[in-house]
Amino acid sequence: MWKNYLKVSIRNLQKRKLYTGINLLGLTIAIVSFLAICLYINHEWSYDKMYADYNRIYRLNQEFRSEGEAQLVSSTPSSLIPTLIDEVPEVETGTLIFDLSIFSTVMVDAGQGNQEEKKFAYADENFFNVFDFNLLSGDPKKALSEPNQIVLTQTTAERYFGNAASATGKSIKIDSKEYEVTGVVEDFPSNSHIDFDFLGSFKTHRHGTSPEWSPSNYYTYVKLKSGSDPQIFEGKLEQIVDKYLGKDLAEYGYETAFFIQPVTQIHLGDQTLGSIKPGADIRYIYIFGIVALLLIAIGIINYVNLATAEATERNKEVGLRKAMGAGRGQLFGQFVSESMLLTLASTLLSILVLYLVSVKFSSLSGVPLDLSLVFSPLGITLLIAFIVLIGVLAGLYPSLILSSMEPIKALANKTKMGGGAWVRKSLVVFQFFVSMGLLISTFVVKSQLDYMKEVNLGYDKEHLVSLSYHYNMRNGIESIKNEMLRSGGASAIARAADMPIHIKAGYRVFPGGDNQREFMITGYSVDKDIIQTIDLELLAGSSFSETDINRQDLEDANQRFPVIINESSAKEMGWTAEEAVGKIINIGFNQNSEIKGVVKDFYFNSLHHQVGPLVIFNDPDQSNVLLVKLPAGDPAAHLASLENVWKEMVPERPFNPVFVDQAYNQMYSSEQKAGWIFGLFSGIAIFIACMGLFGLVSYVALRRTREISIRKVLGATQGNVVSVLAADFLKLLGFSAVMAIGFGIWFSNNWLQDFANQTKPSVWPYLIAIGLVFILAIATIAYRSWKVYSLNPAKTLKSD
Amino acid sequence: MIQLKEIDKFIESRFQRIFILKGINLTINEGEFVTLMGPSGAGKSTLLNILGLLDEDYSGEYWFGDKNITKMRDRERSSLHKSEFGYIFQAYHLIDELTVYENIETPLLYRNVSSNERKSIIADLLDRFNMVAKKDLFPAQLSGGQQQLVGIARAIAGKPRILLADEPTGNLHSGQAKEIMEVFQELHKEGTTIVQATHARENADYGTRLIQMLDGKIDQDEVITHV
Repeated sequence: MWKNYLKVSIRNLQKRKLYTGINLLGLTIAIVSFLAICLYINHEWSYDKMYADYNRIYRLNQEFRSEGEAQLVSSTPSSLIPTLIDEVPEVETGTLIFDLSIFSTVMVDAGQGNQEEKKFAYADENFFNVFDFNLLSGDPKKALSEPNQIVLTQTTAERYFGNAASATGKSIKIDSKEYEVTGVVEDFPSNSHIDFDFLGSFKTHRHGTSPEWSPSNYYTYVKLKSGSDPQIFEGKLEQIVDKYLGKDLAEYGYETAFFIQPVTQIHLGDQTLGSIKPGADIRYIYIFGIVALLLIAIGIINYVNLATAEATERNKEVGLRKAMGAGRGQLFGQFVSESMLLTLASTLLSILVLYLVSVKFSSLSGVPLDLSLVFSPLGITLLIAFIVLIGVLAGLYPSLILSSMEPIKALANKTKMGGGAWVRKSLVVFQFFVSMGLLISTFVVKSQLDYMKEVNLGYDKEHLVSLSYHYNMRNGIESIKNEMLRSGGASAIARAADMPIHIKAGYRVFPGGDNQREFMITGYSVDKDIIQTIDLELLAGSSFSETDINRQDLEDANQRFPVIINESSAKEMGWTAEEAVGKIINIGFNQNSEIKGVVKDFYFNSLHHQVGPLVIFNDPDQSNVLLVKLPAGDPAAHLASLENVWKEMVPERPFNPVFVDQAYNQMYSSEQKAGWIFGLFSGIAIFIACMGLFGLVSYVALRRTREISIRKVLGATQGNVVSVLAADFLKLLGFSAVMAIGFGIWFSNNWLQDFANQTKPSVWPYLIAIGLVFILAIATIAYRSWKVYSLNPAKTLKSD
Repeated sequence: MIQLKEIDKFIESRFQRIFILKGINLTINEGEFVTLMGPSGAGKSTLLNILGLLDEDYSGEYWFGDKNITKMRDRERSSLHKSEFGYIFQAYHLIDELTVYENIETPLLYRNVSSNERKSIIADLLDRFNMVAKKDLFPAQLSGGQQQLVGIARAIAGKPRILLADEPTGNLHSGQAKEIMEVFQELHKEGTTIVQATHARENADYGTRLIQMLDGKIDQDEVITHV
């Protein structure tokens, strides 16, 4: 029986090439997208589950509270983990990681000269007890137990020593300090949040031998004893805070609390906490999941639509089989086996296509697709279940329609597919609703991205280059600045803590001087030239001058210290820009800060946030970067002359210029990724839907060939014919458009909510998306009806 | 074997009932070869469909042996349909995607006949109709007469007791028609009950009974005597 089903199915599919082609292509594209997204989501879900006791590993996070304001961070003091191991019985072991890359890069020299490296961290001796990564060489217990030891990843070891085996025991210089390579660890998996090239022993660091309760710069992880209740453990953290931190905190008016976070939830958890590796927004995971299901739905709908439309052609066969005694189940079996066969073919094809596109997809999405999962026992089981499910889903409705036809009517070709028409129509409406909805979302995302690119940030990020330098270069940096200015490669240069795109340092304004308010303020450590270099607009007062004192030259906290604030700060203190100039405020480390100037608000953080109070002060020693304004003309030439100066003056460090506007765009990479994925998949959805429409119009046109021929004989133009065929479908698209607009409004309200600074809502995304889909749909219909129109009526009418 | 009592079939239109069959009383005995004749629209095909259980939308009683079909459950009716009836159509109605062999095989598949038995049944049939060489051809590659032979082979493959044929020679020229009718005669001699509808008077001569229909009623019912 099944052999027969199979044979008939194959012949049927072979005979109807257009139909098979459309279904195969539609399903294949849908399945490729579906599988790709599934693998992507699976990768994101699988984070940090490779450690033996992953469900007992927690990261400790910290909450700072003062006067109702709370700040959550993932960094903790260095004393925390030794204390916990000593005093809390639930703790089996725990480790500390100090990620240096947040602060600076390191210079690595293994005998071939200095190379700049970013992914360096210190970890304590328990690191491999908590995270049981496989060491290719070295003893996990001893590899990080003494000062000046270092563990390299396999790739890093190969990069510096040719092969992993020979690295152990060699020495390597990090920032001129000598380390012994005590182990080589397998590269950290892409789905681990731990991601370093170098792990130095924490004992090398000052706090490694004498831990302290301040500063909070370190990630702390604990592994609890099996069977112990994490809630109880978390409760005990409060006692630790009281015992060791209570007094100090009360003095400063702070409160702090530690709380735990399962290691598996770091990647998709609260992103504001910060982590070694940037995580992912779980909402995007959900959205992509929904998109995957929608795409599969569109693919199935195509099949259902075409198969039911086609049923009108097959009712003779069905009637006949019934007359010969076929039961409903047997007919059902035949149609379902046909759809399963098609699904199977599409799935196989999809896997092939997936192989071809996976590299591209991985590089665009930033997530490697592990295709071997497809062929794991679980993958194959799921795939088979998937084929059966899709096969049955896609075959169910058409076979129900077909097998319920009365044989006599079917044989006489009298069956009107009236019953199925509304189902088919609603399916078309759904398909185009999804296509339009996705496209509208794409345009909403794109308009916000464009807005962010083009919005006036309040400073000039064009032709602005950032050169990071090392703390120990601070003495020579003024002469480098001067040389660069003299070379003509720069029109202005300032030292600054960071690029103006994200200024992070948090300070506090206390009551005192002329101000009565206490509030949080962001501090920007710079040198005197910042205002001209990034072109900030002064509203009142003046810029820093040569004679203004630097922070490190202050003799005591009461010495007068000139600062510049932004408009928001002035507003926070209840002053206009003009009033603020000359006022004295207390910014913690200096109680006698005199406001020298007020600049117009500029965006010093991502546009997710509102512009808050900012204070700019003269503190070049806290600076990490040179901001260089390039003169007009060819940037490459200017960069070349800057590089010459750099090479001459700091030959041991590489010259790595970063364009500020590019770094700015980089900040929105997750939004860009979302925009890109929306764009791609809405394109795919539209393509599949249009193919389905093409198939459907083909059948309608075929059924109405006679009518169209008569119309032609009576003098209908091609336009008339198109409009006859298009009218019905355009009505359906109209419905889809209404629903899609509703969805788009909901989506843009929700998605844009995340941005404190939003693009103005506009009708354009809706108009363009819907217009585009309509044009494509009409083109599809027009092409199909042109083919019918071009038939010779004499022939088509004779056969009737 | 078959008894129809007061069979009515009508279409309800807006203003009136249009009767297709009205007050049909008919008894067909095992082994008869009945020919239904009459002008188009007389109700021949409708009657044939009712006889063949393809049409259930009528009033009156239909007795098959001692069973009242009108009161049967679907499952019973369907199994009766499978075991007792074979159909032959004017337009052959072969399945275009299947070869000659597979077309004949189809009803056997629906009757769950085992593979070996299927092979032998089909081999016999192909042999009987001299179509062994054509078994792998598709319907489109055959002449009309040959297609109808396949249709007959398919109809009798399940060894039905009753063969129903609606204008079996309607699409054939006279030579082919004669050949088909001879096959019918032979089947009849082997004991199969046959009911055919036709326009051609000469076809009736192969049978044993001729029923003339007019406007949904039985007009004449006569026995054909073979000289």
